[in-house]
Amino acid sequence: MDLQRLETARLFARFGFGPKPGDFANALKAGVEATRSQLLNTPQYDRGLATVTDPELSDLGNFPPMGSAARAAFNAAMKSQRQALLLWWLDRMALADNAFTERMTWFWHGHWATSIGKVGYALPMYLQNQTLRTNALGDFKTQARMMITDGALQYWLDGGANTVAAPNENLAREFMELFTLGVDRYLEIDVQAVARALTGYRVIRSSGAVTFLPKKHDSSSLNILGSSGTFNAEGIADLVVARDDCAQFISDRIWFRFISSTIPRPESNPIKTAFAQRDISKTINALASSSAMSDPQYSLVKSPIDWFVGLCRALNITPSRLAKPEQVINFLDKLGQVLFAPPNVGGWPSGEAWLTAAGAQYRLQVAQLLLANGDTAPIASLPSPARFDAMSDLLGVANWSLRTERALRGVLDDPNRLILLAVSSPEYIVSA
Amino acid sequence: MDTLSRRKFLQLTGGAAIAAAAPMLTMEQIAQAAKLRPLALGTPILVVITLYGGNDGLNTVVPYKDPLYFQARPDIAYAPGDLLPLDSELALNGSMTGMKALWDRGKVAIVRGVGYPSPDLSHFTSMAIWQSASPIHHISSGWLGRWLDTQARDPMLAISLGSVLPPLLAGNNVAGSALPLGGIVVPTGSLALDCQRISAATTTDSKLMATAATSLRNLFDLSSTITPILQQPAPQPLDLPTADGGVAGGNSDLQQQLDVVAKLIAAGSPTRVWSVSLGGFDTHANEKGAQSILLGNVSASISRFMSQMRGTSRANDVVVLAYSEFGRRVKANASQGTDHGTSGPVFVVGERIKGGFYGDQPTLSKLIAGDLAVTTDFRDIYATLIESVLKSPANAVLDNWKGRTNFLTKV
Repeated sequence: MDLQRLETARLFARFGFGPKPGDFANALKAGVEATRSQLLNTPQYDRGLATVTDPELSDLGNFPPMGSAARAAFNAAMKSQRQALLLWWLDRMALADNAFTERMTWFWHGHWATSIGKVGYALPMYLQNQTLRTNALGDFKTQARMMITDGALQYWLDGGANTVAAPNENLAREFMELFTLGVDRYLEIDVQAVARALTGYRVIRSSGAVTFLPKKHDSSSLNILGSSGTFNAEGIADLVVARDDCAQFISDRIWFRFISSTIPRPESNPIKTAFAQRDISKTINALASSSAMSDPQYSLVKSPIDWFVGLCRALNITPSRLAKPEQVINFLDKLGQVLFAPPNVGGWPSGEAWLTAAGAQYRLQVAQLLLANGDTAPIASLPSPARFDAMSDLLGVANWSLRTERALRGVLDDPNRLILLAVSSPEYIVSA
Repeated sequence: MDTLSRRKFLQLTGGAAIAAAAPMLTMEQIAQAAKLRPLALGTPILVVITLYGGNDGLNTVVPYKDPLYFQARPDIAYAPGDLLPLDSELALNGSMTGMKALWDRGKVAIVRGVGYPSPDLSHFTSMAIWQSASPIHHISSGWLGRWLDTQARDPMLAISLGSVLPPLLAGNNVAGSALPLGGIVVPTGSLALDCQRISAATTTDSKLMATAATSLRNLFDLSSTITPILQQPAPQPLDLPTADGGVAGGNSDLQQQLDVVAKLIAAGSPTRVWSVSLGGFDTHANEKGAQSILLGNVSASISRFMSQMRGTSRANDVVVLAYSEFGRRVKANASQGTDHGTSGPVFVVGERIKGGFYGDQPTLSKLIAGDLAVTTDFRDIYATLIESVLKSPANAVLDNWKGRTNFLTKV
C-alpha cells in the first residue's frame, strides 16, 4: 500500500467530502504535511461557498386551521422552505472549495441529532445548523451551552414542556447519554435532577426562539453528579462538559465517525489529551496528525451523504440546480440519510449497516442520475489509456484491487460506465 | 408526536455494540436452490415486529379498574368506556379493534410485565439488550443472528424489511438479508456483468470492502429469487371488511411491510424469520392521540396480515411477536406524555397460540422508584419461540436460559 496515497485519500474523504477535480493530484505533489495543513484550515474566503446563497426562510407562525385556505398555502410554504434548507446545505457541502467546516458541521449535526420530522419548521433547523457551523471547530463548552438552549433541540426533546410540577426527562437524559457523557456515566437521580435544572425554558416552535422564565425555573438546590448548588441550562452544560467522562465520550464519538466505527479508540491516540481544554480544532488536528491516519486497519464506510456529496464534487454538480432536486432527496431517503432528518436522537447508523443489497441498488440509480447531469470531462476528455489513473485521482481512491482494476480497464472506452463502476466499487464506498 | 423512524436503532453510543457480522458467502447457487425448494408446508415462520421508541404498556393493556392508574395519569388515562375489556381487570386500547377480534378468537397471548433485570432507561441500551438478548454484557450479535449462525447458510432464511439491517439479525458469522419496500430493481445486460466483476470476491479486500462487495453481489443473488414474487399482488385478506374496524389512516408503513412479507410467505419463500418495525412510540408529549394512532396501525396491520395468511396454506405456520424496548413511567409528565420506564406487555399472535394472559400484571401499588416491576424476562419468550417456532435448541442462542412461556400448542 502506498501510504502517502492512503493518507491523502483519508484526509480528503474524512475531513472533507472528497476532492474536486484536480485537488488530489495537486495534493500528491504537495505532500501529506502540506495537504493536511491546507485541508484542515478553513480559508477566509471560499470561492465555491461564495456562490451559495442563504435560503430564504421566514417565521411561518402557527398552523392555520385544518381545511382552511390558509392551511394549504402554509403547507406549501413549509414544504418549500424545508426543501430550500436541505438543498442549501447540500450545495455548501458540494461546492465548498475547502469542505472542512461543512464536514465538521455535518458531524455535529449527527451528534446533536435533531429531526425536522418533529420540529417541522425549517427556520429553527437553519438556526441550529448555523450554531453548529459557528461552533464546529471552536470550544466544546460553548457549543454545549449554545445547544442546550437551542430552539430546535429544545423542541425536539420536549424542553419547553419540562416543568417543576412534572419534569419531562427527555432533554436531560439525552444531553448526558448522547451528547456529552455517554450511557452509564450518570445515575437515574442525576437525570431527574438535571431535568429539574432545565425547567423554565420556553420555545416558540416556528421561530426556534427560546426564552427563560425565572418564575418557572426550579431554583432549589440540587445534587448533580456529586456537585451541589442551583443550576440553569448553562450551569448544567458547564458542569457536565468539565467532567473527564465528557472527554472520554467526545473522543470516542470523533474516533467512531472519523477513524473507525468497528475498532475502538486506543488510549495511545492523542485525541483525548488534545481535548483537555475542549478545543475542537486542536482535537481534530491531533487526530488527523496521529499515526492512525496511515494505519491500514482503520477503514471506514462512507455514509450515503458522504458518498453522494463526493460524487457531486467529482462531477461538478450543484444539487439545487438538478432538474428534479426532489428526486435526489427521494433517493437519499431510500439510502437512509436525509439531512436534517436523522432517524432518531442517536443519529445515523454507521459501518456495515450501510452495506446492504438495497443500498447497492440505490447507489447505482443515484450514480446514473448524477452522471446524466454531471461534468465527465476530467475523464472523457482524456485518451482512453490515461483514464484509469485519472479516475483514481478524480475520486481520491487510495488503491484499487486487481479485481476492480481489471473491470475498470475493461470499460475505458466508455467514460460514463467507467465512472459508474468506479463510484459503485468497494474501493470507493469504503474509505480505505 | 415524536418521529422515531422505522429505520433501525443501530448501536451508536459509546461502549455499545454494533451490528457486526456480514454475509461473507457467495450465494449464486443458494439463491437458485431457494427458488427450486420453497419452504415446506407446515414449517413454522416467525414474524418479529419491533416497536421503536418505548411503547407505553399501561395505555396499551390498561388496568381500567385500578384507581391508582387514574391517579397517576389523570390527563392521559382512558375512561373504561373508551377501552376494549379483555377481562375484569385489563382492557385493550380502544384503537386495537383488530387485535381484540383476534383475542376473542383465542389467538393472542399477552405476556405481561416483560423486561429484564435492572432495567436500563436508555432507548439505545435497552433496544440493544432486547435485540442482543444480553442484559449484562454488551455483545454485537442479535438473538436471531445467533440462531442463523446455527443454520445452514441461506440468504433467504431471515429477511428484514427496509434498507438497514437491525442488530437482531446480525450473527457472529452470518447475518440476515435486508429488503427495501417495493422490491429491488436490478441492473441487466452488460452493466449487470460489470457490477458482478467489481463485486467478485478477492482476498485483498479489507473486511469492510469485502462486505461492500458482498452487498452488491447479493443484489443479483437475492433479486433473482425475490423480484418475480414481489411483482405479484399481495394476498387478499380473507375475511376482513374493506375498512377494518374503523381505524383511519389508510396504509400504515407497517402494513406495507407486512404486505410484502405476506406476499413472500404466500409464494413459498424459504424464510423462517421476518423482521419489520414501526417507530414513533417515544411519547414524551401529547401521548394519547399519537399512541392510539400507532397502536391502531399495529393492531390493524397484524389483523390484516393474519387474515391474509388465512387465505393461504400457511395460516397455521405463522407466529407474530410484537415488542418494544421498554414501557413508560407510570406517572404522566406535564406535557400529557410519559417518560422512559421499564416493563411492558408483549404480544404473541398466531393460529397455534393459546390465547390469554401470561406473566403477572405489575401492580401499581408496588412501584420500584416510580416504575413497574418486571414480572417476566423477555428471554422466556425468546427461548419458547426458538424451540417451538424455529425448532432449534435455545441454549446456544440464549446462553442456557432456563425460563419458558408456554403460549404455543404442540403441533
